[in-house]
Amino acid sequence: MTLLQVRNVTKRFGGLTAVDDVSFDVFEGTIKALIGPNGAGKSTLFNSLTGFDRPDEGSVLFDGAELVGRKPRETVRAGVARTFQNTQLFEEMTAAENVMVGCQAHQPKGFTTALLRLPMAHGEDREAREEAARLLRLIGVEEWLDAQAADLPAGIRRLVEIARALATKPRLLLLDEPAAGLNETETRELVDTLFRVRDTGITVVIVEHDMGLVMDVSDEIVVIDRGRKIAEGPPRMIQKDPAVIAAYLGEEADDDD
Amino acid sequence: MGMRNLKTLVPLLAVVALAIVPLLVTDRFLLKIFTFAGINVLVIIGLALLFGHAGQVSLGHAAFVGVGAYTCAYCTVELHWPWLLAFLLAGVFASVGGLILALPSLRLKGHYLAMATLSFGLLMTLLFTEAEFITGGVDGFGGISFPSLGPFEIREASSLYWLVWIVVAIALVGAFNLTSLRPGRAMRALHGSELGAQACGVDIVGVKVRTFVVSALLAGFAGALYASVVGFISPSVFTLNASIAFLAMTVVGGSGSLAGPIVAAILLTLVQYLEALIPGIPRETAQTLQSFQEDIYGLAIILVVIFAPGGLATMWKRRLSKGKTS
Repeated sequence: MTLLQVRNVTKRFGGLTAVDDVSFDVFEGTIKALIGPNGAGKSTLFNSLTGFDRPDEGSVLFDGAELVGRKPRETVRAGVARTFQNTQLFEEMTAAENVMVGCQAHQPKGFTTALLRLPMAHGEDREAREEAARLLRLIGVEEWLDAQAADLPAGIRRLVEIARALATKPRLLLLDEPAAGLNETETRELVDTLFRVRDTGITVVIVEHDMGLVMDVSDEIVVIDRGRKIAEGPPRMIQKDPAVIAAYLGEEADDDD
Repeated sequence: MGMRNLKTLVPLLAVVALAIVPLLVTDRFLLKIFTFAGINVLVIIGLALLFGHAGQVSLGHAAFVGVGAYTCAYCTVELHWPWLLAFLLAGVFASVGGLILALPSLRLKGHYLAMATLSFGLLMTLLFTEAEFITGGVDGFGGISFPSLGPFEIREASSLYWLVWIVVAIALVGAFNLTSLRPGRAMRALHGSELGAQACGVDIVGVKVRTFVVSALLAGFAGALYASVVGFISPSVFTLNASIAFLAMTVVGGSGSLAGPIVAAILLTLVQYLEALIPGIPRETAQTLQSFQEDIYGLAIILVVIFAPGGLATMWKRRLSKGKTS
């Protein structure tokens, strides 16, 4: 079943077309990778899918419902969670507390119940605490539970952010460069983690530069260059695609200017 | 002693210390100083939520105190309404101000929000000065009656002390509940990363508005108490300088904490009255210190920002965790 349908999404910033008429589908229970040289428009596309940016044209259907025009909070509630290229952890809070904030997405508001410290607020708090511990265990970083986010090593920060995204109970998880800053061992562990996440029934879309990781985990790959989709297909096909090879060989020349 | 024991013992000792103040201190002026400290603490609890937890700066908090003070004064003196009603109304009016000030916070951050709240504060000071038919203008508003609950008038220095600190205690319990549960996490998340908070589904507009309103509410109550305790108010009390002093207390106290800002509020209030507090201190020294009050506050902010960015709260948190590992 198609969980996400991206249709003709275009996003312009002034004269620059960051995302240019991009369409693709993501099937439920699969891992899809979005790759492309730096500045290809992958993060902009992510923002357009999650309400952080509003595309100028096109449509994003999630399980049949339009996401374009919704606020980030509403897309989260609809079941789309994300992480950021520059991790957006709450530095002065512990890893567990970070994840607990994610748990709030599906809890009732509860300002007054908290103010009066009603039993309900306590129960909710305990549930969130247990859920945070469970998710950090699932991701394999339970030993950092009580560590301040600001004190976490780069690799662990990315994993905690994934746990936090999972706390919002997503059906679709969008990961923006999850392997950036990870060493080889951590990257291998991330692959296992991604499979474990997928096996819980969550569909995953990743933006990633680590080609080894991308080829290992993804069922399908979309290649974006200068805002346009230049290829789409299973990893083995993408590796041989002449347009993809050209885009990647040209990357170093692009980096110079 | 474990950290857990310490965590319950320290607040308990603080409550006992505050409770015995009126028993030990018989001097009415001294008691009044401790009463003022309580009024400032009430403002600071609100600002600790707004700035220390949610990271929304306000350079206009004295305006909320002013709104509360004038509301209470006008309702009791001119309209002869019961004090408790006037007190509650003071909170309501200040909250409306908080709601108004929350609007720019939805679009502005950091320095720009500081500028917007600063303008709000200046505008309100101007309003207090110009709306003479209500506020009495620069001459001030005098003859404000003491607080009364039904037939009981509260005019004894020790009773006023109790009244103020009971209100503080109630506010503190509420604030502690908020900060230790879900709403506090949402506030600190907002402070930590607005993007991250949004990605977690946090209603950032709601959190900002609610925190501004609660914070203004407490400032309004503080204003009502101030007016009733002192009996006279004028625009010069609710100026930018006062707002900066409040912010100084919050910064020195540290972010993400209630205890830190409260201790800072008490200390920085007492600094103003060294002459009364330390019997032996030469008059000139005390007066010099008093005339440099704003400079002391400014210096306190600078020192904390440079040498102890997390304020008092972080300093003792570090000390505690150091003690735990050694």
